[in-house]
Amino acid sequence: MSLLTVEGLNKSYKSLQVLKDVSLEVGESERLVIIGPNGAGKTTLFNCLTGVVPIDSGMVTLGGYEIGKLPVHKRVSLGMSRTFQKNNLMDSLTLEENVRLAVAAGKSYRYQVLKPLTSYREVREETEDLLERWNLSDKRSLIVGQMSYGEQRLLEVVLAMASRPRILLLDEPTSGMSPAETAQMAKMIQNLPRSMSLLVIEHDMDVVFSIADRIVVLHHGEVLLSGTPDEVRNDERVRGIYFGGGAKQYAEA
Amino acid sequence: MNASLLAAQLLNGLAYGMLLFMIAAGLSIIYGFMNIVNLAHGTFFMLAAYAAYSLAGMKVNFWLAIPVAIVLIMIFSIAVEKLLLSFVYGKEHEQVLLTFGLLIIFADMVKWIWGASPRSLPIPPSLDFSITMGILDFPVYRLFVIAVGILVAVALWYFENRTRIGAIIRAGVDDRQMVSALGIHVGIVFTGVFAFGAGLAALSGILGGAILGVYPGMDTETLILSLVVIVIGGLGTWKGAFSGALLVGLLETMGQIWFPSLSMVLIFLCMTVILLVKPTGLFGKKVST
Amino acid sequence: MKKSLLLFLVLFAVVLCFPLVAGKFALHLMMEILIMAIFVMSLGLIMGYAGMVSLGHAAFFGVGAYFVALLGHHIGNLFLVLALGTAIAGLLAWISGGLFIRSAGGYFLMITLSFGQMLYAVAYKLKNVTGGDEGMPVQAAPDLGWKLATMTELYYVIGIGFLAWFLFLILFSNSPAGKAVKGVMVNESRMRALGYNSIAYKLIAYTLAGGMAGFAGVLYAYFNQYVSPDLLNWLFSGQAMIMVIIGGVGTLIGPAIGAGFFVLLQNYISSYTERWPIIMGLIFIAIVMYGKGGIVHLVLQLTSKLRFKLWDGSAVNRAEQRRTSP
Repeated sequence: MSLLTVEGLNKSYKSLQVLKDVSLEVGESERLVIIGPNGAGKTTLFNCLTGVVPIDSGMVTLGGYEIGKLPVHKRVSLGMSRTFQKNNLMDSLTLEENVRLAVAAGKSYRYQVLKPLTSYREVREETEDLLERWNLSDKRSLIVGQMSYGEQRLLEVVLAMASRPRILLLDEPTSGMSPAETAQMAKMIQNLPRSMSLLVIEHDMDVVFSIADRIVVLHHGEVLLSGTPDEVRNDERVRGIYFGGGAKQYAEA
Repeated sequence: MNASLLAAQLLNGLAYGMLLFMIAAGLSIIYGFMNIVNLAHGTFFMLAAYAAYSLAGMKVNFWLAIPVAIVLIMIFSIAVEKLLLSFVYGKEHEQVLLTFGLLIIFADMVKWIWGASPRSLPIPPSLDFSITMGILDFPVYRLFVIAVGILVAVALWYFENRTRIGAIIRAGVDDRQMVSALGIHVGIVFTGVFAFGAGLAALSGILGGAILGVYPGMDTETLILSLVVIVIGGLGTWKGAFSGALLVGLLETMGQIWFPSLSMVLIFLCMTVILLVKPTGLFGKKVST
Repeated sequence: MKKSLLLFLVLFAVVLCFPLVAGKFALHLMMEILIMAIFVMSLGLIMGYAGMVSLGHAAFFGVGAYFVALLGHHIGNLFLVLALGTAIAGLLAWISGGLFIRSAGGYFLMITLSFGQMLYAVAYKLKNVTGGDEGMPVQAAPDLGWKLATMTELYYVIGIGFLAWFLFLILFSNSPAGKAVKGVMVNESRMRALGYNSIAYKLIAYTLAGGMAGFAGVLYAYFNQYVSPDLLNWLFSGQAMIMVIIGGVGTLIGPAIGAGFFVLLQNYISSYTERWPIIMGLIFIAIVMYGKGGIVHLVLQLTSKLRFKLWDGSAVNRAEQRRTSP
């Protein structure tokens, strides 16, 4: 049963066609990873799916509902949430304030102008819950802009989780991380609730194979191949353009 | 409403439009190419007019006063750029604030030095006559201003086609470090462009002094009008400033005849509508992102 | 929030007791300061809190003022006039904001400027209705059920108005909507990605600010008993902008301090020289270049440095954090 479907997505900037006839599907509880060389259009794809940029043609449906014309914030309320490749947080606010904002986003009282936000028990409890689950309680008063890169990267994911999305879009979650941090992040992603679908852009092949149910290979804005990790691993074309010389070790893995 | 009055007003409108064109072109270059919000642009216009007034008082020849006053204003603009604006490139908020502060200071400064009553620049004797064609009289000074305006338009058209300089400026706005790494002295280019824009405003101020007068408040009046011009006409090309200026100039002067109480409202209404419907203006192209 | 409420209590006491110690001249000055403080706080709301720079904000102030001049004596009751004036200004802000807020940064600046100038032109040109460039006298007298007879009574109306809005801003900045507005200013794309309709929040802030400015305008009309088109002019907006910056953008008390500083300085310097705009301009430029956020931040830095010397380094951290929340 498919949760997110993309059909025939096209996107051009001036005369440069960035995405060409892209189609893919993410099922319920499924984890799809998108790989492809730099410039393949992966982040643009995310921007199209989340509504940050308008698409030229094609269809995007979430849970059977067409979302292609909806603004960014409406798609979130339908259950789609994302992280950013470059940390995109409220840098001048504290970690706790960031989480609290994320938690309050979908609440019915979010337009209230008099009662303090912190007086709502629901908000307090959900914020505490998130902080505890991700072991961030003792860091709650840190100004986000002063946190370490790895901590910020983690916060990226925590914020996206606050809305309890049906599908989570992770844009290169391990980008810029050390091997140790990368392994940690991979483990964390593996342990995410299975009920939530994942659509992940990733470069690190170890991470890709540790989390993917299926893989889509994007090249020059087109879908080259879509299949199981094994199928992708052994595909000649993929090896040629993407794995290059290191193909052998992956074939044997 | 006889033909001769109509013709006179038309000429006035065109001349006024040319003055607006020159100052708006300067603003367009500074904002369109360098992304600098310069609320003190009208100040350059005004200071040039006052400088010319003083020079005229010292019996300096009109044809000498023009370049002298322009150079003075350009030097002033360079000082502004070096001492203030160069520290806030890219920070629009701060540019608005700083240039606003300058505007306030010099608006009062001219009152201090020259007094609050309006003055006017005398029309140079060599241009102080009219050409008569049938029943129509054409004051030559107005024709002169129109001619200068056309010359400036031609020069800008040529400048625009010298795309190398344009490209350098555009690149410099995007990535200063990269451009200077290519051996091009970005600072000098920026300062030069800024001074050039100020120079255009100065030229307009000096020529306009005989038509519009020299008075406190001319800085803000012209600033607002030039903003209207570039919004309506569009940024990034001389066509924008030219068409917008002629439109506004004619609307202003002809409007005085037919609907005096509405012309001001109409102009701002136009500006608002254009910003909503086609924010880049009639002819505008995005020069820098 | 506790600190802000404490500040509110201090202000409450000051406003309450001021007439007891002040002479007529000082009282008159204070009234002007409080009115301007309301106006400047409203600009501070959109500049420092919602992150939008507008040079057309005076239009809402002017609308409130002219409302009193044109209709004040027909309506009579001061509360009613205040409510209606605020509502009309707020409505105008709602409608214009709805159209303009979608415009990106630089365009927003220009479109608010042009809109404000359009209203200025209307007031300027409709000589038969508004008195044109000469302005018009305000016939309405403040009437709260009884006709306000003394300056002190009007002072208290103004003072209470100021305190009420200050309290509202405290509550607003801690409310869900207020927190969201702040978040949108800090990082709009992220807030949208979290599910916030950022445009709606900017509009809320803009509408509140417009209404608040209108409120100040209404009070001004009663105070000054004369209105002129200059109240709608962008230069007046710019003046308010100066006050926000001098006081400290992004803080709650900053705008009020800026208003006080400006009015006092204007009065003090202009008694010695007519050239106070030059002095004001120089101070302003100095603050923009070197002031790092106005008087409030300067004071915070000084006091945090003092505390650092007296106690331990963590005080500096707390002071730094205070800078990020109103």
